[in-house]
Amino acid sequence: MRQLKQKTILPGFGLALGFTILYLSLLVLIPLSATFLKASSLSWQQFSHIATSHRALASYKLSYGASAIAATINLFFGLIVSWVLVRYNFPGRRLFDSLVDLPFALPTAVAGIALTTIYSPNGWIGHLLSPLGVQSAYSRLGVVIALTFTGLPFVVRTVQPVLEDLDKEMEEAAASLGANRWQTITKVLLPAVMPAAVTGFSMAFARAVGEYGSVVFISGNMPLKTEITPLLIITKLEQYDYAGATAIAVVMLISSFVLLLAINLLQAWSGGRLKGAHGSELPEIVETGVAG
Amino acid sequence: MSIDAINISKNFGHFPALNKVNLEIPSGELVALLGPSGSGKTTLLRIIAGLEFPDSGTVRFDGNDIGARSARDRRVGFVFQHYALFRHMTVFENIAFGLRVRPRASRPSRAQIRAKVQELLKLIQLENLADRYPSQLSGGQRQRVALARALAVEPSVLLLDEPFGALDAKVRLELRRWLRQLHDEIHITSVFVTHDQEEALEVADRVVVMNEGRIEQVGSPEDVYNHPASPFVYNFLGNVNLFHGRVEEDKTYIQESETGHVVYVRPHLLDIARLPNDGSHFRARVKHINSAGPLVKVEAIAEWGDPVRVELPQERFRSLQLMKNEEVFIIPKDVKVFPARKEMARAK
Amino acid sequence: MASITLPNPGVAVAGAAHATTERAWVRWTLIAIAVTFLGVFLFLPLAVVFSSALEKGFSVYLAALRESDAMSAIKLTLIAAGIAVPLNMFFGVTAAWAIGKFDFFGKSLLVTLIDLPFSVSPVVSGLIYVLIFGLQGLLGPWLAVHDIKIIFAVPGIVLATLFVTFPFVARELIPLVESQGTEEEEAALTLGASGFQTFWRVTLPNIKWGLLYGVILCNARAMGEFGAVSVVSGHIRGRTNTMPLHIEILYNEYQFAPAFAVASLLALLALATLLAKTFVEWKARQQSAELKP
Repeated sequence: MRQLKQKTILPGFGLALGFTILYLSLLVLIPLSATFLKASSLSWQQFSHIATSHRALASYKLSYGASAIAATINLFFGLIVSWVLVRYNFPGRRLFDSLVDLPFALPTAVAGIALTTIYSPNGWIGHLLSPLGVQSAYSRLGVVIALTFTGLPFVVRTVQPVLEDLDKEMEEAAASLGANRWQTITKVLLPAVMPAAVTGFSMAFARAVGEYGSVVFISGNMPLKTEITPLLIITKLEQYDYAGATAIAVVMLISSFVLLLAINLLQAWSGGRLKGAHGSELPEIVETGVAG
Repeated sequence: MSIDAINISKNFGHFPALNKVNLEIPSGELVALLGPSGSGKTTLLRIIAGLEFPDSGTVRFDGNDIGARSARDRRVGFVFQHYALFRHMTVFENIAFGLRVRPRASRPSRAQIRAKVQELLKLIQLENLADRYPSQLSGGQRQRVALARALAVEPSVLLLDEPFGALDAKVRLELRRWLRQLHDEIHITSVFVTHDQEEALEVADRVVVMNEGRIEQVGSPEDVYNHPASPFVYNFLGNVNLFHGRVEEDKTYIQESETGHVVYVRPHLLDIARLPNDGSHFRARVKHINSAGPLVKVEAIAEWGDPVRVELPQERFRSLQLMKNEEVFIIPKDVKVFPARKEMARAK
Repeated sequence: MASITLPNPGVAVAGAAHATTERAWVRWTLIAIAVTFLGVFLFLPLAVVFSSALEKGFSVYLAALRESDAMSAIKLTLIAAGIAVPLNMFFGVTAAWAIGKFDFFGKSLLVTLIDLPFSVSPVVSGLIYVLIFGLQGLLGPWLAVHDIKIIFAVPGIVLATLFVTFPFVARELIPLVESQGTEEEEAALTLGASGFQTFWRVTLPNIKWGLLYGVILCNARAMGEFGAVSVVSGHIRGRTNTMPLHIEILYNEYQFAPAFAVASLLALLALATLLAKTFVEWKARQQSAELKP
């Protein structure tokens, strides 16, 4: 007979677990189930009609597409940034290091209006780009920029601890075997950090897909062009189209869960738990984005 | 206070940690539970402490069944292998803990607590480290604090789980002697778990040898060393040579092939000579000599091919002036014969 | 017999100098790239918040903050955080005790479920409560009959905030508690401590930095939440607007300086959060370094 729980002498298990499950159910599980319940009141036809409408598809393309591009940008630059922060010393390094977490700490609405102001035609960067014919705010480019901001810390914070833990001896061994610096980096170091980098990429991607506040100001919100999926949900709600909103929400939920599963598998593949940015006793701080 | 473990059995999943174990520990004795990992000794200790629950069997303190009592109510002092000191409390606060958490009614006053802690600090000789934190102490110091902490609540029984396992050799020796002295002073019923046979033999009044969830032998250190009740005990408590043998009348024969018996000889109970004596002897060729240390270790191959290990006192070795590859006679001074068991297959 | 050629030691040593470091120009280029990237994406937004807030002068800045709708928004933000953070903190500690100190069937499933709110988009997080408590929601009619307002009122905002900040403290504490084992608690019990005494005197002090860290992050998110609160709020000025929502309203009305004025408060909060985060990480690192024998 398999034991459900090892009998131990520490007290309070039943109470603690009971409360945990109760609170979890009330706040999270039941409301989430309600969504699926509501969606099931639609017939399959109705559901797919809404979920694959022209407007919805355009929003998916934008949300997922821009998220993928932003995550890729963050992958590339994130690797450079973590390398620079770990391996080099330069004035202001500590400051930059702490600042990397800003997208986690800054409320999305604040980020949204700040970014819009910077990239609007007469903004600090916008006015440099508009003579070149590049429209950054109120365009898809704006969406990508905002999502890059949102996802910036993910790759950096997942790769940093791995880089910090890397044994210098590996590189010395490669060098003693005749590799030049470039070969050492591409054949020894990069593969070592790739799992963490890919995990960071996926987390940035997952976060970007659901992002609302940072994006909704800079995107311009034109249906079929610059309307992100979360905004589509809100629009439908404002029109009291609860069924429509729910249908799109279910699509997003399912994709979130699939991504969550994929990320968990990735983390398991890359060797278990990620440590906090400085290998401190506080693990798993990485995915805790605070911006809403 | 005496401890009785009666028919204790415990399984972890499919793993049988203890199998109908019976043990009596008279009041005031210092007893060692000795055995390899997996023998069940720690499990037995934790069951006595109330940190684990047996699947069946009873534990009695002074004849009273305490199975229903929680670890909290059993008033045992438990010293953990890795000390389990409260890392955020000073040495003083660690030792005072058991007194501070007493229910209001029976809690001693602050002055009384202070006095008791000072007394214990003196006992463990760490008076000026009262304000240090565990991270600032050495392993040996931490272990003493753990002991003082356990003693502060004046337990009727002291249980120690591999108390010196995590320390280096020299510190281990010192603390061993110190524990023995402490026990001589305060005579509290104490049980400690160890896998180090030297430790058990040196410190304990009584040794309980355990293996695979069962007790193999209980006895004084001399008893278990000189009169081992089983091959396991013999093997575990010191080095041993193994040979096939048989017993006929009152003679013991050593021979090549498998028989129903195993002959055990301790290396220091073998002598080497150039000429055979009248009694038992056999030929062997010296293969390797290691003369560093108090005893000289000689490895030889017996005439029938078995390896033989002999330990000679330095003087004897020097008087023989042994050389590699010499042919000599080996004279056993004492052997033990046991019916053959699986050990034989493994030894070969 | 083959002869073995050993590498010329002189050459190897000289090579080693370049072996584990890049040439200077490479280093500085990389640093430049990193600093530019971070500067553009992190410094600029921060800078623009403060500069835009103060664009029209300090008196306009203060007036924007003192304005009654702004004050109500600040108050509502504080209320929402003031309820959500302690509740989720209590939950986090309880969950960490149950999950970190005991072994039971379904443990990893439970941990995954606790993580769920992280993976849900903020807008969807708000929607799910509308679907239950909204007029057309599951409990809508019942609530209407009893004249209880949840959606488009403060309770809805608190609920949405609770949801999005749900996992923060728990996921900080669970691994921490797990890694600390149960020996100290067992020791406390053998010394006669009750369950509560053990928790309060032994477990809690050991997790204090992780707890503080989780609370800091939880609070930052609670105060800054936008998407979820936007859905449940109803955007009634002076009544159901939190600071982020108020910022949105001001911005959409082209009142940029006031919008950024309120935003600057949240930006300051973000900086304080980063500071506190760095401090707590440092403390925790110190603590774990001390504990190494």
